[in-house]
Amino acid sequence: MKQKKNRIWLLLILPGTLFITVFMLIPLFSLCLTSFFPDQSFSFSSYLKLFGDVYFQQTFLRSIRLSLLSTLLCALLGYPTAYYISKHSRHKGVMMALAVFPMFTSPVVRSFSWMVILGKRGIVNNFLVWSGLFAKPQDLLYNEFSMTVGFVQLFLPQMILSLIGVMDNISDDLTLAAGNLGATRLGSFFHVVLPLSVSGLVTGSVLVFTGCMTAYTTPQLLGGADTRVLSTMVYQYAMSLRDWTQASVVAVVMIAVTMLISSLFSRISRKINPVA
Amino acid sequence: MALLELRNITAGYGQNIILKDFDLSVEKGEFVSLLGSSGCGKTTCLRMIAGFSEPMAGSILFDGKDYTHVPLHKRNFGFVFQSYALFPHLTVFDNVAFGLKMRKLDKAIIRKEVMHMLKVVDLEGFEQRFPREMSGGQRQRVALARALVIKPDLLMFDEPLSNLDAKLRVKMRVEIRRLQQEMGFTAIYVTHDQEECFAISDKVAIMNGGVIEQMDSPSEIYNHPKTEFIARFVGFENFFDLTRTGERAFTLPSGAQVNTRFDHAGACKGCIRPGDIAVYPAGADVPNAIAGRVQVCTFLGQRKQLNVATDIGEFVVSTDQSQVFSAGEAVTLSLAANKIIPID
Ligand SMILES: Nc1ncnc2c1ncn2[C@@H]1O[C@H](COP(=O)(O)OP(=O)(O)O)[C@@H](O)[C@H]1O
Ligand SMILES: [Mg+2]
Repeated sequence: MKQKKNRIWLLLILPGTLFITVFMLIPLFSLCLTSFFPDQSFSFSSYLKLFGDVYFQQTFLRSIRLSLLSTLLCALLGYPTAYYISKHSRHKGVMMALAVFPMFTSPVVRSFSWMVILGKRGIVNNFLVWSGLFAKPQDLLYNEFSMTVGFVQLFLPQMILSLIGVMDNISDDLTLAAGNLGATRLGSFFHVVLPLSVSGLVTGSVLVFTGCMTAYTTPQLLGGADTRVLSTMVYQYAMSLRDWTQASVVAVVMIAVTMLISSLFSRISRKINPVA
Repeated sequence: MALLELRNITAGYGQNIILKDFDLSVEKGEFVSLLGSSGCGKTTCLRMIAGFSEPMAGSILFDGKDYTHVPLHKRNFGFVFQSYALFPHLTVFDNVAFGLKMRKLDKAIIRKEVMHMLKVVDLEGFEQRFPREMSGGQRQRVALARALVIKPDLLMFDEPLSNLDAKLRVKMRVEIRRLQQEMGFTAIYVTHDQEECFAISDKVAIMNGGVIEQMDSPSEIYNHPKTEFIARFVGFENFFDLTRTGERAFTLPSGAQVNTRFDHAGACKGCIRPGDIAVYPAGADVPNAIAGRVQVCTFLGQRKQLNVATDIGEFVVSTDQSQVFSAGEAVTLSLAANKIIPID
């Protein structure tokens, strides 16, 4: 009986497994292979060459820095929003719809919107000049600032959704119990709500971080020539320079860093809330 | 002066008023139960006392001080939730220690107090478990320990046993009562289980329509219910109008004479439990007789229930197995004089 059940299970996960194997694992594996066989023989030379390159070092650090910064900003902006929507909002459905609404437009459209907003004659610059804060329009586009803005706007909904998911599961009785036992509002937040929502914060952070690391459109459209990130670099190597080995090396590094930092996030979460 | 006093409380949710002109007073060291049907406002009342919500009108006095607007974390009250509300991310030890940590006590003292309390509730050796690794009864005891360890001035229970099986319920209620008598805390206990609250309370307050209809000792409520609602609650099923004709003598609307052990000026309502009515063959010469005809005869194991139609309405009578009456048979009922109770 049990055996049979297990077999049905296998049957159910088969198509998905097959799909992932054929279209993800195999290409990924061959990508790795390519990166380690620059001249038909195994060597780390491509990696050594890459990491020795100052331009790559800058790009590598920029990618991580911008992704981490965007993740942090999403957490800081998303947490209060999610908390409000989950615990205090009367029109939860409407608020949720508003929060995730940006997800319905493509990253291309959103990037172009930011180009309009942040451009030399965009509303932000108009305001800065009009208010007298600056004498002439500032360079708000094609730099790390505009990329960060783009990333945050692109991935904030993911963060909010992950957080609402866990916050909805925190019973009001728990915060009342904390208060009843003598915790102030701040105390029950830090001792109960925060630890119990860490898992959502981590899920959200992983989503945002991976999103930022792998996003292509936003850094391409909102970044400049001197603010390349790993994803745009892959494109550059593959399409402009036709150097597939270097492209695959960058791609592997990108995947490795993303996985490493994501697992780091989960480890932190388990420290804070071992149960979740 | 009572320890806790609720005066003229109005409470509810938005437009929906649940408690109106609600009064309650609890003496120090007393175990008071709030008893009422589901949805009558017991939880609403308890949560308001705990400070989870504020009353719309009226005041809460505690130890002579106005507590109406005192924030919940400044009331030194314990609360045992129906759902236990244990912190899922904390171990049993940390759950119990929570209140003491909030009071910024010394670590060594916290450890001592928590271990002592876990011993009291018989959970030694479970300190490092998480709530989800415990059974319902064990969680219940963690919740109890967590509330007790802060030495609350008042301990509230919201149907703490309703999620346990019948056997454990009986065991735990004895345990709660024992702890209360040993430690001497004042308790308000909410339940919809009559047997449970009669078993453990000094006083029972029965709620109806958003007010307390009667608050007395369990035996007083059982033997001397003041209103028809309370009387029905404690098992009286037969109600009739009485008009005074002399000392401890009344007539029923049908004209039949009834003698009682109480006296009451003018007219009043009387009631009697099904078990306090004896059944005789029609025409029997018995005291407080009422003639009737058996409508339905229901087998109830030890006893039989007869529904008897009389001139003054249907009577529910409980007889023992030896008596055989069948539906349609004419009978005479005899009301035990010392079991007839007057109600308002
Ligand atoms: N959060 C709430 N919002 C609106 N109405 C509520 C809320 N909680 C309870 N009620 C209503 O108040 C009434 C009393 O509820 P409650 O105090 O929980 O009853 P009890 O504990 O006696 O079963 C019920 O009719 C219930 O529907
Ligand atoms: Mg309730």
